[in-house]
Amino acid sequence: MKKSHRSPAFGNVLFWLAMSLSMTAHAQQFGQQPQEEKELAPVSRTYAITNATINQGPGRKITQATLVIRNGLITAVGKGVPVPAEAIIIKGDSLHIYAGFIDGLSRVGVAKPKEEANRERPKDPGNPTPEFAGITPEKDVRTAISPQEKSIDEIRALGFTAAQVVPYGNMLPGSAAVILLGGKSVDAMILNGKSALFSELQGAQRAYPSTVIAVMAKFRELYRQALQAKNYETLYASNRAGLNRPTSDRILEAFYPVIDKKIPVVFEADRYLETQRIINLQNDLGFLLVLADVKEGWEAISKIKSTNTKVFLSLDLPEDKKDEKKDSKDKKPEPKAEDTTLTAEEKEALEKRKAEFLALYTGQAAAFQKAGVTFGFSTLSAKASDVRANLRRMIKAGLTEDQALAALTTNSAQLLGLSDRLGTLDNGKIANVVITDKPYFNEKANVRYVFVDGVMYKYDPKDAPKADAAGKFDIVGTWTVTTNTPDGKTEEIVTIKKEGKDFSGSVSGGKLTQAVPLELVELNGTSLKYNYTVQAGGQSYKVDVQATVDATSFKGTAQVGTTGSFAVEGKKEPNR
Amino acid sequence: MKKIFTILFSVIVLYAQAQQNTNNLLIKGGTVLTITKGTLESTDVLVTNGKIAQIGKNLSAPSGHQTIDATGMFVMPGIIDAHSHAGIDAVNEATSPVTAEVNVGDALNPFQIGLYRALGGGVTTIHSMHGSANAIGGQCETIKLRYGVKDPEALRMEGAPRTIKFALGENPTRVHGGGSNIVPRTRMGVEFVIRQAFSQAKEYMTSWDTYNKQKNQKGFRGTPPAYNYRLETLADILKGNIIVHCHSYRADELQMMLKVAKDFGVKRLVFQHVNEGFKVAPEIAAQGAMASVFSDWWAYKLEVYYSTAYNAAILAKNGVTTSINSDDGELMRHLYHEAAKTQKYGNLTDDEALAMITINPAKQLGIENRVGSLEAGKDADIAIFSKHPLSIYAIPMVTIVDGIVRFDRAKDPDDMRIVVDPKQPLEIATFREHHGHSHESCLEGAELSFEELFGTTANQE
Repeated sequence: MKKSHRSPAFGNVLFWLAMSLSMTAHAQQFGQQPQEEKELAPVSRTYAITNATINQGPGRKITQATLVIRNGLITAVGKGVPVPAEAIIIKGDSLHIYAGFIDGLSRVGVAKPKEEANRERPKDPGNPTPEFAGITPEKDVRTAISPQEKSIDEIRALGFTAAQVVPYGNMLPGSAAVILLGGKSVDAMILNGKSALFSELQGAQRAYPSTVIAVMAKFRELYRQALQAKNYETLYASNRAGLNRPTSDRILEAFYPVIDKKIPVVFEADRYLETQRIINLQNDLGFLLVLADVKEGWEAISKIKSTNTKVFLSLDLPEDKKDEKKDSKDKKPEPKAEDTTLTAEEKEALEKRKAEFLALYTGQAAAFQKAGVTFGFSTLSAKASDVRANLRRMIKAGLTEDQALAALTTNSAQLLGLSDRLGTLDNGKIANVVITDKPYFNEKANVRYVFVDGVMYKYDPKDAPKADAAGKFDIVGTWTVTTNTPDGKTEEIVTIKKEGKDFSGSVSGGKLTQAVPLELVELNGTSLKYNYTVQAGGQSYKVDVQATVDATSFKGTAQVGTTGSFAVEGKKEPNR
Repeated sequence: MKKIFTILFSVIVLYAQAQQNTNNLLIKGGTVLTITKGTLESTDVLVTNGKIAQIGKNLSAPSGHQTIDATGMFVMPGIIDAHSHAGIDAVNEATSPVTAEVNVGDALNPFQIGLYRALGGGVTTIHSMHGSANAIGGQCETIKLRYGVKDPEALRMEGAPRTIKFALGENPTRVHGGGSNIVPRTRMGVEFVIRQAFSQAKEYMTSWDTYNKQKNQKGFRGTPPAYNYRLETLADILKGNIIVHCHSYRADELQMMLKVAKDFGVKRLVFQHVNEGFKVAPEIAAQGAMASVFSDWWAYKLEVYYSTAYNAAILAKNGVTTSINSDDGELMRHLYHEAAKTQKYGNLTDDEALAMITINPAKQLGIENRVGSLEAGKDADIAIFSKHPLSIYAIPMVTIVDGIVRFDRAKDPDDMRIVVDPKQPLEIATFREHHGHSHESCLEGAELSFEELFGTTANQE
């Protein structure tokens, strides 16, 4: 038989040329836009990355090998793999290839609902609407996903290609879905449309259930009512004569697949005590449990193991202040020592204990690994810009690179029931791929290409946002500020304006019935200060917020009268 | 004054010791205040596997028993606080006048430093209660101060009866009537809310009983009553499975509650605070209800003006099982002082006074067969004082829970936090207890919380 008149080598050269031309043009025009979103279809949906270091899976490294992607799937991987004639070729001589990472819990791509400012408290706070109570398990996260969300590219640029996403809300915000982090439409992104029922031990504001104890009681009641309703429906279906028709109840029906153990309940469980409380609920009711965004789980490992609970550990870590000091020696003014009664000796002892606990946070992943618990990672509360540094900190604290890679890929795929499609670079799997110019966990590595579902996203290291953007940000605008109080999280809206040289503003929303003016707003370098006064119980309380701003977010503390000091976090809404 | 700040390693030493701690002890040569079986001079208490094995003279320690020399000291049962809000992360679900289904036992927090401070005052068992915002509040949890454990479950006093908080008077009317403009706005409303809840629970019980009887009959076709967690819990009260602890001050409302309890067959009833209990002590006693009071704390609001420090003694002399409680992280540290006040105001004997913080609160919590006195077979919950605990010179030296030393004055480092938040600035790494000095931590979460700070102003008058 005669072969095609063009030799494969010649074809490769042609396509390589065409490819590099088109890529340069598009890189300028479209930046990091996916190739498929352009008006012109890509010349080919076949790609070959040649002569690269390929990490097919944790511990499965091959060098000088080729990966072939065709029509969204991995079709060949290995040394000396033939390159299809139509392939767009990426010369991978110095590149490292990994399976795309999987995020166990996040809200990437999920549009945040508009805060209905000053939502009126229900007339009878003991009987709010399910919506106000935060009990909407019938809601489907797919209705809130937007393929255009900026957050998708933020974590895709880190190498994440799939994520289990959940809706915003309180106690029972709705069902979760596993999505691909790229695609023309929401439906095109879906890998599993209903992967779990999502829940948080988060009460409603000023209405039942408002505290953790009421949330837990309500969860038990709903679950048992669902069990009862489901049994009755079964009874009715078997013989309808003489029985009242079961009434439809969308809230209870949302529990049916949980009761049937077709889907688990995934809980956000960042605090240690929450972890324990959720496990208690699981013990009472017996559902399949996934704990996600776990930050303080080390003391609960044996319980997690014995209850076969699945876990996703948070990629958020408490800041290591010491590192920071090294980086920016004299930039930051030392926080004023308000309590001068501390002696140097006492301070040292307190610092030591803090360091001891910081080590527990960074060592969490290694501790789970050591205990033989299969875990993945989640980015729900992590800042995208911290994720890679945090992974390095976890590795420094005892996790091996292969173990970290497994948590990002194979483990997550397994925990989400997607091992046959995701997690490794093997023939037949979905073409979710990360390509870096140095090994991924190397501090200097840049992500150069990410493939999602066979679609290429190209990243130019020159485009990466400069880390040293201090002073270039603008605090004027609307900030969503979350305060962590012992009674739970409160969320307020802080609006900052600038008139001449001076800042002014107001705070509203959350539990405030009306907007309160800010008495002082000051920005000094990256340090933001503002305060306001609230009235309660016939007394006024001054709220003093001090925070460090990082472009579009801030972290700090709020001192509330003499009541105490609480952690606050602000996120800036994009200026429109 | 030079502060002696015992640094990290001493904490580690203490933990190491706690781990080595077996629950086998011999407390030698102290004056043993058994409370129920008199006072025994120069007597030993032998503790084996966390239980009091033997009380007697010249006992010898079997191998593996740690010996504590209590010569010249006083050995008493661990103090029991029948009214506290420590050890829990949520106190008031203040959104509805009836929230029987919630349970503070779901929000246990073993890390609160206040638990250790209470140990430092000889306290070993506390009743962690729901607050008093609602006419029928949530269920409470009886916990042992096993400070050092990290699993919240380990705080529970396993096997202790279930208890629930009720509240009469100003708090529920202010929170719901004043705050949300719903029933109860008056004391009449409070009675109505309780009677209505009990009536609904009775109907609920009946409908389930009927259904359960019919369901096994041949050819039965019918719909089960809808499951309701709140009514389930209220039905458990009517069945006698839950002890009611009722926040109350005035004599009229005490009488009212006694009548409501009688009407619905509720037998296990403990009044909390009971400032006007002295006016109706015989009536309380006649119905077998009990009272847990402050020694001398009043006038923090209108309904507590008519009060006397003789209250505890008058109630006790009239046959009411009476205890003295703290409702406060600071008072909890010196309940032995509070008990001693009944000797100045009421001339109670040593045993009568000490019963107020030991066996009597144990009875009110239904745990008197386990704790509250020093007797063979009981839990080894023991407080050792340098002097007689009713003396103003007494200093708590060692506190033992289930045979394990949880507080030892000789080894008491400054930083006893079990967990440290690495994000918290040093300057605010205060050792201040969250449950602080509000007049009634009872109303925590309902009044002096963020709910109020950032929220409604409706509660102000």
